[in-house]
Amino acid sequence: MEERSYQRKPVVKIREMKDDYMKFELRNTDASVANALRRVMIAEVPTVAIDLVEIEVNSSVLNDEFIAHRLGLIPLTSERAMSMRFSRDCDACDGDGQCEYCSVEFHLRAKCVVDQTLDVTSKDLLSSDHTVVPVDFNEIAGDETSEQKGVMIVKLRRGQELRLRAIARKGIGKDHAKWSPAATVTFMYEPEININEDMMARLSLEDKQSIVESSPTKVFDIDPTTQQVVVVDAEAYTYDDEVIKKLESMGKTGLIDIKAKEDSFIFTVETTGAVKASQLVLNAIEILKQKLDAVRLSDDTVEADDQFGELGAHMRGG
Amino acid sequence: MNAPDRYERFVVPEGTKKVSYERDTKIINAASFIIEREEHTIGNIVRMQLHLDENVLFAGYKLPHPLQYKIIIRIHTTSQSSPMQAYNLAINDLDKELDHLRSAFEDEIANYSSTREY
Repeated sequence: MEERSYQRKPVVKIREMKDDYMKFELRNTDASVANALRRVMIAEVPTVAIDLVEIEVNSSVLNDEFIAHRLGLIPLTSERAMSMRFSRDCDACDGDGQCEYCSVEFHLRAKCVVDQTLDVTSKDLLSSDHTVVPVDFNEIAGDETSEQKGVMIVKLRRGQELRLRAIARKGIGKDHAKWSPAATVTFMYEPEININEDMMARLSLEDKQSIVESSPTKVFDIDPTTQQVVVVDAEAYTYDDEVIKKLESMGKTGLIDIKAKEDSFIFTVETTGAVKASQLVLNAIEILKQKLDAVRLSDDTVEADDQFGELGAHMRGG
Repeated sequence: MNAPDRYERFVVPEGTKKVSYERDTKIINAASFIIEREEHTIGNIVRMQLHLDENVLFAGYKLPHPLQYKIIIRIHTTSQSSPMQAYNLAINDLDKELDHLRSAFEDEIANYSSTREY
């Protein structure tokens, strides 16, 4: 039997890449793959987040569960998460913070002893593992000068105290959004805009101006030298159809044709800082591969296919 | 109160098979694959990949109910192939596509980083 394959070879082009943000083009694949990547980035790439909190003393104005919830939402650096274990799969321990494979322990001790309000932030969380610490947003923004103190947890007045132990575990966004490494992941079809030059040349300048202005986003403009309508930013088009409707009302249907390229996508990825944006995409590809691997047929299922008889066996090369 | 545990959505219970196969008794070369604890992410990419296969006459998936954490992929092929063959081919092709995508992405990151001071 000849080797059949319908494999595509996607092409990637990075437009912009920062630690927590990236924009790239993905071509030569279809929307199902683009959407699978988006869904996996949001809900299935693992990170580490605080999952269990033991409060020793809390005399702050916020109640215990309120603080526990806030702690859970603090992004922790999770480069290690891909190689960690889920605590439910960890045989070596019971996920109590002592196990290096599946959990990380944090301590927080803060007491206000002065008249000024004390801000308790993510910087006050002391980690037992230097690879898993609260995300430093100054580092990401690249400015060391500003005195930004981290994620606010609670404010204490004189005499109030907060003392707790927290355990961070590996998890995925499907379980709880606190584990999602993605702030936003979006993709759009690349628009392809064609202007019928002959028809356009016959229009008056006012008509051209009204066409340019009919688009809510700045997609078109008038070339100052040639006085022609030109596309200045195709990607600003939001698929709103306003220009098309305008042309219809002018009786100039077909003057501008806008198509979505079905195999070409522009991705925008923003992370919470738990992992780098580029790493998030790579992790998503890896997770998607693992998911596909998990849905392969097992050998005993293949045996059950014998019911297909001689023809089936013949086709399988048997 | 009686809400199912959140992990129920993605942890396959012990003693349950991830993928089970059910042949159609009335139509030759038609079958359903029941995949536990998966949803649109897998369902849609497998379906679209199956559509590229010219021996596949029908391929579709459904999520029968939002609280039944499984999908059903139904495949009908010509006599040149079988649902199982088409299913395996689709998964292999997707796997290869993702391998390609990963290396393309890694190359592009290296390329981007070297052209810019990053």
